[in-house]
Amino acid sequence: MDASVLLALRDPAGVPFYPVVFQILYILTWALHIAFVLLSLGSLGLSLYGSSKGSSDRNWRILTPHLIQTGKISVSILIVLGVAPLLFTQVIYDPNWYVTNTLSGMWIFIFIYALIVGYSMYYWYYYANKAQKSSSTLIGLISFAILIFSGILMHNFTVISLMPNEWMSMYAPGGVVDTSGWVFSVDAIRLAFMVSLSIPVVGIFLQNYSQFLSTRKDFENSFIQYSANLGTKLAIIGLLISAVLFVLWMLKVGYLFHPISLVTIAGVVMLLVMSKMNNNSYYTTLILVVVALLISSVRELIRFDLMMDLGYNIYDYPVNLEIPTIVMFLATFLIMGFVGVAYLLTMAWKVGKNEGVFDGSKDALVSKLGQSTLYIMIAWIAIYFAWGIGILFSNIL
Amino acid sequence: MDIIGQFPLFYFPEYGSAWMMGITGTIHILFSHTSVGAAMLFAFLAHKAYKENRSDYYPYMKKYGMFLLIFSYVLGSITGPGIWYTATAASPRGISALIHNFVWVWATEWVFFIYEVIGVFVLVYFMNRIDKKTHLQLTYTFAIASVGTLALIIGIISFMMWPGTDAYYVTGSASDAFFGINTFPHMFLRLGFMFMMSGVIGLVISSAMRKENAALSDELSKKMGYVSIIGGFVTLFFFIWYMGTLPDNAHDVFAFSKDSIIQNRIILTLVFMAYFAIAIIKPKLINPAIASSMIAVILIAGLWSGEKLRESMRKPYVAGQYIYSNQLISRDVPGKNIKSELPIVAEKGLLQVNPFVPEHLKSITDENRLEAGELLAKLACSNCHSLEPTGVFRPLKDKLVEMDKESVMAILYAIGEGAFSYMPTLKLPDTEYDAMAEYLASLKY
Repeated sequence: MDASVLLALRDPAGVPFYPVVFQILYILTWALHIAFVLLSLGSLGLSLYGSSKGSSDRNWRILTPHLIQTGKISVSILIVLGVAPLLFTQVIYDPNWYVTNTLSGMWIFIFIYALIVGYSMYYWYYYANKAQKSSSTLIGLISFAILIFSGILMHNFTVISLMPNEWMSMYAPGGVVDTSGWVFSVDAIRLAFMVSLSIPVVGIFLQNYSQFLSTRKDFENSFIQYSANLGTKLAIIGLLISAVLFVLWMLKVGYLFHPISLVTIAGVVMLLVMSKMNNNSYYTTLILVVVALLISSVRELIRFDLMMDLGYNIYDYPVNLEIPTIVMFLATFLIMGFVGVAYLLTMAWKVGKNEGVFDGSKDALVSKLGQSTLYIMIAWIAIYFAWGIGILFSNIL
Repeated sequence: MDIIGQFPLFYFPEYGSAWMMGITGTIHILFSHTSVGAAMLFAFLAHKAYKENRSDYYPYMKKYGMFLLIFSYVLGSITGPGIWYTATAASPRGISALIHNFVWVWATEWVFFIYEVIGVFVLVYFMNRIDKKTHLQLTYTFAIASVGTLALIIGIISFMMWPGTDAYYVTGSASDAFFGINTFPHMFLRLGFMFMMSGVIGLVISSAMRKENAALSDELSKKMGYVSIIGGFVTLFFFIWYMGTLPDNAHDVFAFSKDSIIQNRIILTLVFMAYFAIAIIKPKLINPAIASSMIAVILIAGLWSGEKLRESMRKPYVAGQYIYSNQLISRDVPGKNIKSELPIVAEKGLLQVNPFVPEHLKSITDENRLEAGELLAKLACSNCHSLEPTGVFRPLKDKLVEMDKESVMAILYAIGEGAFSYMPTLKLPDTEYDAMAEYLASLKY
């Protein structure tokens, strides 16, 4: 694809801030998004194994519903976290994003409704499992298949976005324009690598799960040990599979000896050692987050280089600085976001650790965080209206 | 090279691609509005439960919360990005314009979404596991966060209609675009509707509780009736204000079906006022089947038609009155260094400037005239009109009945001269008018 075309496809409004900031935010938020994609697939997949064992196994009788619940919440979180990379990618890579959406328009539509059906069936699976219905495994399996299918569609969008030289032949094969939106393409190794990561992610999650519950007296030690061992096994096997697929993918795209790839591989080796030892899985999780960021960086590097080779440099995107709204974002993100999410997660953590009713009003940290969140939000609304009324008055009067 | 930023075209035969966004958008509005309304309702109920020591309200809130989790946080949260995706496929440059103007507003909304999504799980699943005071505080923050998401998206969708002043075009500032003259009436119109929807959904749940606790079911159904009636009144009041803030082209479109729309709204208002009055006076008459049916009535008779109208009233623009539905930039926006693309299209033609037109169609010949005409018709018209003789969505078959090539040409020329306020002033070279007219006439509508 000609550089002049790619450059013409940039939005004429320019970008409202320096492109590198959007690029960094993309890498960060994609890593967060994929972490929950992998956790949801891993926990749903593993719960199917547990569900097929029925209630005969004592350990799985406890573990299966917890895995289902984890996956269920993870899907919601992955959806909301997915909005951010979706947003940032199209600010700087508009040609890739918008061409993909139009070429694959029908798949876009199918993706949305597949996700709705898959996630709705997940709730059905949750209730069927709760009621110990024999059909629950089958329902879960269908939900899993549909969610995997949605993942394949999302992968398809990524692959098409990385094929600028093929866009014209995809849109008008043989010179005949095809507006049907049925363009589809898969990169099997990349897809297999991404999906394979769900195994170590659920493995390390199980290590965390057992460590978290180890302080609860209402959970037997044998169960805690069983979860930890299962997590270790899954983490080790999964990491080995993912490492092989990663190497194959990097070989294919010619990035195996790139410093970021090498650091990623070193990160995986470190994860293997830490998972095997399982001294403190919370630290393992920190390394997992770093590896997720590295994988996100590798993805971005491939795209960035590809577009640079075609003459499309995101750093040359014209900038029309937009100060008031970035101030709003930063203030909201850093103040309200951190305090608010800290409030919710602290409460969730303490409720999880507590065996009865948790009295947050007597907990200094939760009370303080809750009150601060409330006041920050009230202030936010007040500033919003003051700002809006001020702008409106100055523009109308 | 004289090219403009046109993307490949996605067109769904018979219907066009815009209906996909319409369906997804209507579903999203139902559940997202319910979600914000319910968050406010939760705060109200939790406040009453805490202050009046009404522990019996909590099971109701729990049931409502589970309902919300499935409907608002499955259907609502997927169709939210779903609108974005489908709108991108149908109107890539329209969405691109919004993204490049409002990316930080959307990013801010994302922060609220994260709070909302984690918050709803904590709120529902920990209802019985945290003390009531903490729960009350949580419901307050949840309500404000939910209203925050509305406060942030409303400026963007209001800008889609128009900013209402020239300030944005001069400064290019997102604040001037966001706080347009219709932003606040639009916000309160939707807030009213959200509150009404929370009552309408609340009636399904309260009426379903009759077997367990008839007195509580009646009490809550009455409350939901009051909530709905107040929400409905606020909606109506701000709808009238909102209509007064719209541009002339919107009123021109509105005038086409004004009588039937007003009739439809009067009937809907009467039906729902009667329904809410029954909930207040005779709550026993409300059962889950009736209450669920009323949601379907709102979805089909209220939301679907309302959203179709709002989308139609934006014509010929898709965003900010500077991008046409057919993805062309129609005016200069000096504040953003944006130039109108209409002069270059008028001079060179759509086929020449669109980078995704195959080489053999760049110049019109006797051999490719029909093929070029078809592509031109799709590029210029298909965002709003289905083209086939059996088309369903605003079909051209209804507009160009039995017209020959000359008559179609005359209409195309008139559109190019700006004869219709709700159509894009799209001037093309004669060869392109000719090819398009030949193709449209060949369909023999």
